Amino acid sequence: MRIEHMSSRRFVVKPLDEHAECSRFGGLDARAKLVGVLVFVVASALLTRQDIVFVSLAMSLVLVGASALPIRHVAKLYLGALPFILLASLSFFLFSGVEKGVTMWARASACVLALIVLASSTQTFELFSGLRRLRVPAMLTTLLMLSHKYIVVLSDELSRMTLARRARAFSGGRNLLDRYALKVISFTAGMVLVRSSERADRVYEGLKAKGFEKDLTGWRTSVLGVSDIAFVMAFVAASAVLLVLQTEVIA
Amino acid sequence: MKHLELRDVEFHYEDGTKALNGVSMALEEGDKVAIIGPNGAGKSTLLHLIAGFRTPFSGEVRIGGKLLDHRNADLLRKDLGLLFQDPDDQIFMPTVEEDVAFGPRNLKLEDIEGRVANGLRSTGIEALAKRRPHRLSYGMKKRVALAGIMAMDPKVLLLDEPTSGLDPRSRTELIKLLKSMNRTMLIATHDIEAAAEIVDRAIVLNVGVVTEGTMKELVTAKDVLENIGLEVPPVSKLFGVLDAMGYEVESLPVSMDQAVEELTKVIDREGKHLHAHIHEHDHTKGGKHVHEHSRGRKEESVVE
Repeated sequence: MRIEHMSSRRFVVKPLDEHAECSRFGGLDARAKLVGVLVFVVASALLTRQDIVFVSLAMSLVLVGASALPIRHVAKLYLGALPFILLASLSFFLFSGVEKGVTMWARASACVLALIVLASSTQTFELFSGLRRLRVPAMLTTLLMLSHKYIVVLSDELSRMTLARRARAFSGGRNLLDRYALKVISFTAGMVLVRSSERADRVYEGLKAKGFEKDLTGWRTSVLGVSDIAFVMAFVAASAVLLVLQTEVIA
Repeated sequence: MKHLELRDVEFHYEDGTKALNGVSMALEEGDKVAIIGPNGAGKSTLLHLIAGFRTPFSGEVRIGGKLLDHRNADLLRKDLGLLFQDPDDQIFMPTVEEDVAFGPRNLKLEDIEGRVANGLRSTGIEALAKRRPHRLSYGMKKRVALAGIMAMDPKVLLLDEPTSGLDPRSRTELIKLLKSMNRTMLIATHDIEAAAEIVDRAIVLNVGVVTEGTMKELVTAKDVLENIGLEVPPVSKLFGVLDAMGYEVESLPVSMDQAVEELTKVIDREGKHLHAHIHEHDHTKGGKHVHEHSRGRKEESVVE
């Protein structure tokens, strides 16, 4: 996945998994990371008690720290997801009170942070390949991979068009009343879609030229090691503790 | 045996523009043929048509003697290795070796490990096996794409503008590599010098087949090339001038390697030295373009 950062001076396209190699979890098998994190996310999503939800959020923060991912990178991604988290919490704030709203925010944040660690610590291709190896249907994983490829193509085309626009002294787009700028931007959007569609056709022909039928998986496959199993067990144990606390078995 | 055969192929784009008209050609085993033509001549369309991504309006394409149609395109394409103009359109996997293995795995070929090793070795990128393709230079990406095709061991290589966008060194290395490959090849290009290094025969295409012959025959047909918007390579022009100045040239060289070979012959014949000439242009005499040489073998004016 790629995220685009626009600044007044430059236009940079950065991949979401750019820090995967420097993450402490980068070397782990994608399947272990997927199972571990998804178990934790499901467990966190089931929590309702505010104090336990905060324990889950604290666990996610510990996970962020343990991953050794750059805090700025995680913060940027979290801020990108924040509007959606707040939107999800809004109805709780409005109709169920502040406490429920805060619980919803903390619960969603715990899940999002864990997923950010998963996505940033794993090469995007490995992630989808891991899903396939976990027996997710080929149709679904291939669709995910091709969608990802299409987003990359779309992002490339958008960056080219934006640079071309700037190279011809276009600097509009900051004022909603600037009709000329809006017209240019709408033409650009149309061109980006047309060009992306043409390029996507070429990419598909490229796949077909290499005998592709339906399954896009890796060649070199890893074997689960002790550290992978330990990773999964840690998450399963943490999730179990959260659920036990939630059901007040210990109390 | 004919690896590839086209008979009276015709193709129109959706807007009705004619892209190919009555194109016929045949490639025997081991043939290396260039399709030369200006932009919009239909070179890439022709390759995509051969690869079964487009269906001709009329005429037929035969691969290994079998008639290509939309039902058997996927099957017959296994014998073809299509190298796209932009390598980013055909590199999908996270590492170079994974990408090279992609084709052979899809085709369920045996000894994938050996094929990947051969593909990487034949394109000189063994050291890049574990690298991420999207971080490589354009020239290296072209090599990765070519290695992926080579690992599939196709009977015919279809190369779309293989030298476009490459820096001079990468271009020279790729030409050397393609020249050394002993395979049936069809190269679409407007790089006449590169084609001259690699192929034995060329077909000049401009929607229809304009002419065909050896590269040396084509550069002597200067008017034909110029009529469709192509230029004779500078090195051929230079030797044309040498010939006009009295240094008889056995055949017009098209590439730098051929030029060196030809120049060596001229120097040997002329007693190991060449005379330099002052070359003046005069556009005023009777409205004709007149070249005058103060000292030359023929000691006369050459009027174009």
